[in-house]
Amino acid sequence: MSAGPYNYSYIFKYIIIGDMGVGKSCLLHQFTEKKFMADCPHTIGVEFGTRIIEVSGQKIKLQIWDTAGQERFRAVTRSYYRGAAGALMVYDITRRSTYNHLSSWLTDTRNLTNPSTVIFLIGNKCDLEGQRDVTYEEASKFAEENGLMFVEASAKTGDNVEEAFLETAKKIYQSIQDGRLDLNAAESGVQHKPSQPGRNPLSNDQQANKDNCAC
Amino acid sequence: MADILSEIVQPEDLKKFEKIYHEQLYKNDVTPKAQFEYAWCLVRSKYPADIQKGIMLLEELYKTHEEGQRDYLYYLAIGSARLKEYSKALNYVRSFLSIEPGNQQVVSLEQTIKKKMEKEGLVGMAMTGGIVLAVGAIVGVGMAIASKAKS
Repeated sequence: MSAGPYNYSYIFKYIIIGDMGVGKSCLLHQFTEKKFMADCPHTIGVEFGTRIIEVSGQKIKLQIWDTAGQERFRAVTRSYYRGAAGALMVYDITRRSTYNHLSSWLTDTRNLTNPSTVIFLIGNKCDLEGQRDVTYEEASKFAEENGLMFVEASAKTGDNVEEAFLETAKKIYQSIQDGRLDLNAAESGVQHKPSQPGRNPLSNDQQANKDNCAC
Repeated sequence: MADILSEIVQPEDLKKFEKIYHEQLYKNDVTPKAQFEYAWCLVRSKYPADIQKGIMLLEELYKTHEEGQRDYLYYLAIGSARLKEYSKALNYVRSFLSIEPGNQQVVSLEQTIKKKMEKEGLVGMAMTGGIVLAVGAIVGVGMAIASKAKS
């Protein structure tokens, strides 16, 4: 948190989507705070989180919009899809209905994002093996057929949470390197922040203020 | 920088939900859903007048539609904070937390509001400092002139 605002070279925009109660906010919280929220109330509208990560030696700031899963928010949360570089699509491995709705979430995502948006499928709550309602093989096949990346994760234990967010970033970064993702396109979901020599806002400004105060 | 208090609604989204609301208003049959969606977009506008209108619509919903009260309180807090009415915003946050203590989303909104206040507080102090310096300079020049006139 104490790092200056320009202490990264890229900003990637993510969205997290999926049915209500699948654990979207818990995944975000586990990723940004490394903690599990045991009693997580329904999200209102959208929630926002950030974390700076490193991919191939580049510091990248992830700006993550976590959307409410409840139907009544759906119309407005759709507007947050625009310009997302990464979309984490979440279902709950213990509730088949949340898996069955994936195709509708996927359709929305494809319609509202751009072709280079990386979509990552997450089967959450994999710590609850005894209550499993969707097999790994089945979801894996669905992901493969639709060209999605996929893991089973647990916001509770933290298993694969880090991986899902980081693998998405790696894929986006790769697209930039390959030139498949146009940084100048308004809705690429990526901003490049070239390093600004001589501008280290926090320390420099504070120093300057001190100097002024000396009189 | 994007965060929950600075992201701006897309004009076409605002227009879309405005249209739905006005169509219902024309038929004198506004649903809480349409009013909330329109208000939610308004409080994310870059124009203070829009935010003000969004707050009005949310206040009305808060009084008439019990079911969605936690949503309305949350966006009332956001709208007020965007208008820099911070004490009002924090009051909404507090009444929310008195009903749902420890709600992570609202606690985090409270932190964002306080951080913004701090930031703007520092800016205010810097400006005051500048004025003190300027006044000091004027007084100094005045004294120099006065002493010159004496000699």
